[in-house]
Amino acid sequence: MGELAVSATAGDELVAIGLGSCIGLAIVDRSVGVAGLAHIVLPESLGKVEPKAKFADLAVPELIRRMLNAGGVKRRLEAVVIGGARMFSVGASLDIGARNAEAVRVALEREGVPVRAEETGGNRGRTARVIVGAEVSSQLAGGSRTTLIALPHAARSITKAGAGR
Amino acid sequence: MPDTHATEEPPVTTPLDDMQLDALRELANIASGTAATSLSQMLGRAVDLNVPSARALSLADAVDAAGDPTQTVTGIALGVEGDLAGAVLLLVPPAHAATLCELLGVEPGSEVGDSALGEIGNILGAAYLMALGSMTGLTLLPTSPEVFTDLLGAIVASVIAGAIGHGDTALVLDSELDITGESCAISFMLLPESGGVHRMLAPLGLAELQS
Repeated sequence: MGELAVSATAGDELVAIGLGSCIGLAIVDRSVGVAGLAHIVLPESLGKVEPKAKFADLAVPELIRRMLNAGGVKRRLEAVVIGGARMFSVGASLDIGARNAEAVRVALEREGVPVRAEETGGNRGRTARVIVGAEVSSQLAGGSRTTLIALPHAARSITKAGAGR
Repeated sequence: MPDTHATEEPPVTTPLDDMQLDALRELANIASGTAATSLSQMLGRAVDLNVPSARALSLADAVDAAGDPTQTVTGIALGVEGDLAGAVLLLVPPAHAATLCELLGVEPGSEVGDSALGEIGNILGAAYLMALGSMTGLTLLPTSPEVFTDLLGAIVASVIAGAIGHGDTALVLDSELDITGESCAISFMLLPESGGVHRMLAPLGLAELQS
C-alpha cells in the first residue's frame, strides 16, 4: 500500500493484494521485459511529497522514472489499470475508487503512456499481479485470474542494478 | 509487494506520546464496554470484551494489524460526523457473521442478513460514539452502515483511505467482542481523521486544540 516496485528479472512476481478503492497500476516495456507495479491509495497529493506511490499524481511519474532507470524506453511504455472499486462511502470522500482511476488516467495521458487494458469499478476487491516475462493479471476476490496483457520474454535481458531492489 | 523489493516508505513517526495513547486506550475501553453491553442486550447473550489497544500506524501497518489482507471478511462500516470526522469499522469472519445472523433469526448472506449486520454495526457504533462523546464533550453522530464481504485488505484500505485521507498515520482503536458460548468474535475499530485525535484529547487536557 503506497508502495511501488520495478523488476527486469523474468519470473519475478509483483503483487498488490486486496485492491478496493486503491489502484494497482502496472507499467510495462514489453520489448525489454521490464515491468513495474504501484499500489495507489488516493487521487491527489495536495502538497504531500511522500510516499510517492500513495498518490496518483506523484505515483505515475515516479513509476515511469523507475521504469526508465531499469532499462525501459518511454515511447514503448504501456499501462494496465486495475482496482478503483466503489466500496464504502464513509468519511469525507465519495467514491474514492472512481476518482483514483480517473486521476491515474489523467496522469498517464499527461505522460503520453497509453492504457492497454483496464479492469476498474464495480464493488468487489481485486488482486493485481505482474509476472515479469509472463503477464499482467487481475483477480476478483474469490474469482479466477484474468490475463489483461501478455508479457513475452525479452529478446535480450537487461540486468541493471537498482531495478526496484 | 514481494519481500525482495525494498519499499521507499519513510519510517513512521507517531505524533502521539505514551500518555496520550494511554488516554485514548482508556476512552476506547469505556466506550467499547458500553458497546458490548448494548450488543449483549440486542442478542440476549453475554459478551466478553478484551483490553482495547490504541495504536498510531501507517496505512500499510494498519491494514497488517487488522489481519491477513488476503482473507475474506465481512466489514461493517459507519461514518462519523459531528465534532469529529472518521469511521467505525467492524470486521467479522464470514462464519461468525453467519452466526450473528442466526442469533438474530435471519438468513446469512441474504439482503436481510446484511441489513441485520448493518443494524448490529449501528447499535455498536452508536453506543460507542455516545460513550466517547459524553466523556469528551463532543457530538459524535454515526452515518448509516454499509456492509461488504471481501478481501480484508480491500475493505480496511478503502475505509482508512476514506477516513484518514491525506494523514500519514491512522489512529486505530481496536477492541475485540466475543459472544459467550458461540464461536463469534467482532473486531471493532474507530478510525478518526488526522486532526480528530487532538479534538478527542483536548477536553482531557492532553492536547492543544490548534495542533
